[in-house]
Amino acid sequence: MMSSLKGLTTIIMAGGKGERLDPLTRDKAKPAITFGGIYRIIDFTLSNCINSGIRRIYVLTQYGGFSLDQHLRLAWDIVHPELGEYIYSMPPQQIMVDRWYRGTADSIYQNLTLLEKERPRQVLILSGDHVYKMNYLEMLEFHLSRDADMTVAAVMVPRKEASSFGVLKVDAASEVQNFLEKPPEPPGLPDNPDFSLASMGVYIFKAEVLVEEVIKDAKKKTGKHDFGQDIIPQMVGRKRVFAFNYQDAAGAPRYWRDIGLLDAYFRAHYDLLGDSPVFDLYDRDWPIRSRPSLHPPSKYIYSGKAIIVEDSLIASGCIIEGAVRESVLSPGVRVGPGARVDAAILWNDVEIGPGAQVQRAIIEDGVRVPPGFAIGQDPQLDARRFPVTPEGVVVVPNNVVLE
Amino acid sequence: MKTILVADDEEPIRKLLEGELSEEGYRVVLAANAREALKIVETQPIDLVVLDIRMPGMDGLEALPRILGLKEGIPVILHTAYSQYQESFMSWAADAYIVKSADFTELKDNIKELLHGK
Repeated sequence: MMSSLKGLTTIIMAGGKGERLDPLTRDKAKPAITFGGIYRIIDFTLSNCINSGIRRIYVLTQYGGFSLDQHLRLAWDIVHPELGEYIYSMPPQQIMVDRWYRGTADSIYQNLTLLEKERPRQVLILSGDHVYKMNYLEMLEFHLSRDADMTVAAVMVPRKEASSFGVLKVDAASEVQNFLEKPPEPPGLPDNPDFSLASMGVYIFKAEVLVEEVIKDAKKKTGKHDFGQDIIPQMVGRKRVFAFNYQDAAGAPRYWRDIGLLDAYFRAHYDLLGDSPVFDLYDRDWPIRSRPSLHPPSKYIYSGKAIIVEDSLIASGCIIEGAVRESVLSPGVRVGPGARVDAAILWNDVEIGPGAQVQRAIIEDGVRVPPGFAIGQDPQLDARRFPVTPEGVVVVPNNVVLE
Repeated sequence: MKTILVADDEEPIRKLLEGELSEEGYRVVLAANAREALKIVETQPIDLVVLDIRMPGMDGLEALPRILGLKEGIPVILHTAYSQYQESFMSWAADAYIVKSADFTELKDNIKELLHGK
């Protein structure tokens, strides 16, 4: 396996604006958003790389790049350049062309000099905004075994729910026939017609094929310059494009979430909670790492009223004197006496004042909820003060003053 | 009349190509280096570029993506005395790669094909 790893260059695309996650992305890149209390979304993809033995990684940044660059320096300065390892944050160089990235394929085109310098045999292309655990070497083995020009990782979703994904139409040998972006009538799998294959935005290319295809795409005046929507259709029928079905030994789809919408962001946190969570952060075989904590332990202070903490993730440095249920608390959060926090995601250093009530909410770092204040109790009042998602989750950005 | 930009640092080759291509009925504009070529592509109507690779300052492989960035889809022919640059990923962005020879038939055929189709 080591020999195939040596010829592999890995590129994580992390420049998307994440507009559908506004206001959380108003000043930072989507991969830099806090997730699961102590992580940033990109930590899952980077941990997958490290756990797969991949230690040479380019992270392509663009929109809100500072937050991401800062995180990479503080949390991911863990590789050894003297051994040829690196995790580099790369903003658009604007050497080849004087423009921002037009799409995912264009971001590779604009960095052809990197590939020229490295001359890899295979290129692994990842997204920085997905939550999953994946050993990319299994996919690389599949790619090599099929002698594929391009392999697209895909996960099975019920056909009826597949309309919100980029869907792959495949034949019985897993060769890709087409890519359909959010199709109204998603095609089912040949051997499992109730399920469709959703692209995970994870690709392996033969390096030379990748270069040819992104050059070809760059010359097109139309299109989105996107791997799914442009490169796959351009290759189908001419090149060997395969789907790697990301499933467990029993044939069930494995966990993968695209954190594209605020409601998806909120719901994905519930996959972390409970006795045997769908997505287990406590899996010793697949550690997810982030910036080491600089906080003291969390403390729970009895002040005459019962402290309740149920089904929650509490990071270090929190001080809790109230009730917390089904919530995820980042470091440094304070929950005052008599306060109640239900189904909420609280980012760093949020303060919930004594007697305040918070329900079904995402609260950005540093927000101070005054004593007795209520969030998530009165939908009409909330909608006047805060962004509220279609599923009724209240988002409290830290540029508002609560009173 | 189609206009061809010839970018080559050697004057005898520029002059030779100017004569040959004018005879074929093209208007020919000359550039002695890559920076000059970029300026011309940016400011003048050019239909095709014949681009040398080894030039002082900026070489043809560096200039190529910049030319394509300035004028999307413009045909570019790399015209060089060396064959080894064909292995460079950057050279793949060109529409043709022609090794210089005394006989310009291959170059002319390629120009004709790119400008007028087969």
